[in-house]
Amino acid sequence: MPDHAGFVDLGLKPYKEVHALQVRLAEALHAGTLSQEQFLCVEHPAVFTMGRNASRAHLGVTGSFLAERSIAVVPIERGGEVTYHGPGQLVLYPILRLKKHQLRVGDYVCLLEELMLRVAADFGVQAARDPRNHGIWVGNNKLGSIGLAIRHGVSFHGLALNVNLDLTPFGWINPCGLTDVQMTSMAVQKAENCTLAAVKQRLVHHIRSLFSLEIREHSESQLFSLLKEPLLP
Amino acid sequence: MKEIDELLLPEDLGYTDDHEWAQKTGETFRVGVSDYAQDQLGDIVFVELPEVGDSFAKGDECGTLESVKAVSELYTPLSGEVVAVNEALTDNPELINEDPYGAWILEIKPSAPAEFDTLHKAAAYLEMLKG
Repeated sequence: MPDHAGFVDLGLKPYKEVHALQVRLAEALHAGTLSQEQFLCVEHPAVFTMGRNASRAHLGVTGSFLAERSIAVVPIERGGEVTYHGPGQLVLYPILRLKKHQLRVGDYVCLLEELMLRVAADFGVQAARDPRNHGIWVGNNKLGSIGLAIRHGVSFHGLALNVNLDLTPFGWINPCGLTDVQMTSMAVQKAENCTLAAVKQRLVHHIRSLFSLEIREHSESQLFSLLKEPLLP
Repeated sequence: MKEIDELLLPEDLGYTDDHEWAQKTGETFRVGVSDYAQDQLGDIVFVELPEVGDSFAKGDECGTLESVKAVSELYTPLSGEVVAVNEALTDNPELINEDPYGAWILEIKPSAPAEFDTLHKAAAYLEMLKG
């Protein structure tokens, strides 16, 4: 019988708040106060996040320009450089024990790419991997990105799939440290019937098959009650 | 992924749950990551080293290893003061993949040398990896 993992749709939620939740879940999973691995699905209000290798030089606009548009800049511990999140982009944060799944980091990155490729294909978008950089691509245009962090064998952060969002802010940065890279979205690629709700549904379907996990969808409040529950002996 | 039985696990080292190793070198201990850790992480592209003179308690985060798309934290297996860091890793982080036991990361002057005896011996660490 496959293991269970939780799936929580957090809706639209600020980056920092969800980041704090990820860290809390990763710590609880490591400490054993949480037994069930979790997949957090979310959209973020507009934000630039700076990975370990990012510098402000990758951001082509000033702080005041961003402040006028209420766009935050958040430094974080994941690998990779600077990227943008905004409404209409589907973000998935799997909080997983890699060893339990017998996954090396490289295999796990491939699996997350496969997850995005299958979801895109379900809506008629043929994307591919590119050896220059992780994530998924349609020609020279990036459709989905990956960035991970690992603490005590628990992986957090995850993937961001551009479903239907304003791509303009990507033009203000040098995404993932690559030059001459354009971002694209499923909407731009003329995906069929591509609502965020439909994409989430396919995402859950492919998580089930790719990770061999039985997924239990639960609400945010159920997730918090899981965290409060003491570990049974 | 390497099979567990293919992993190199030298006998004279102490290992942690988080896959660091410690090796006694006179009055100090060298610290690195195990063959399992480097294999798990894949091609290491960046190593963030602590500063010489930093003090840590056992289990504290003392650096990070970064592979192509992930950052993994490094925890010190022993309490003490950092007396040296392996600067060669700054330019050649892949040395950890090539020789995880030659490519030490930091050298620590222990404040409680007996902590070394609480680390896993190679056989026990192997059992943990199998478990």
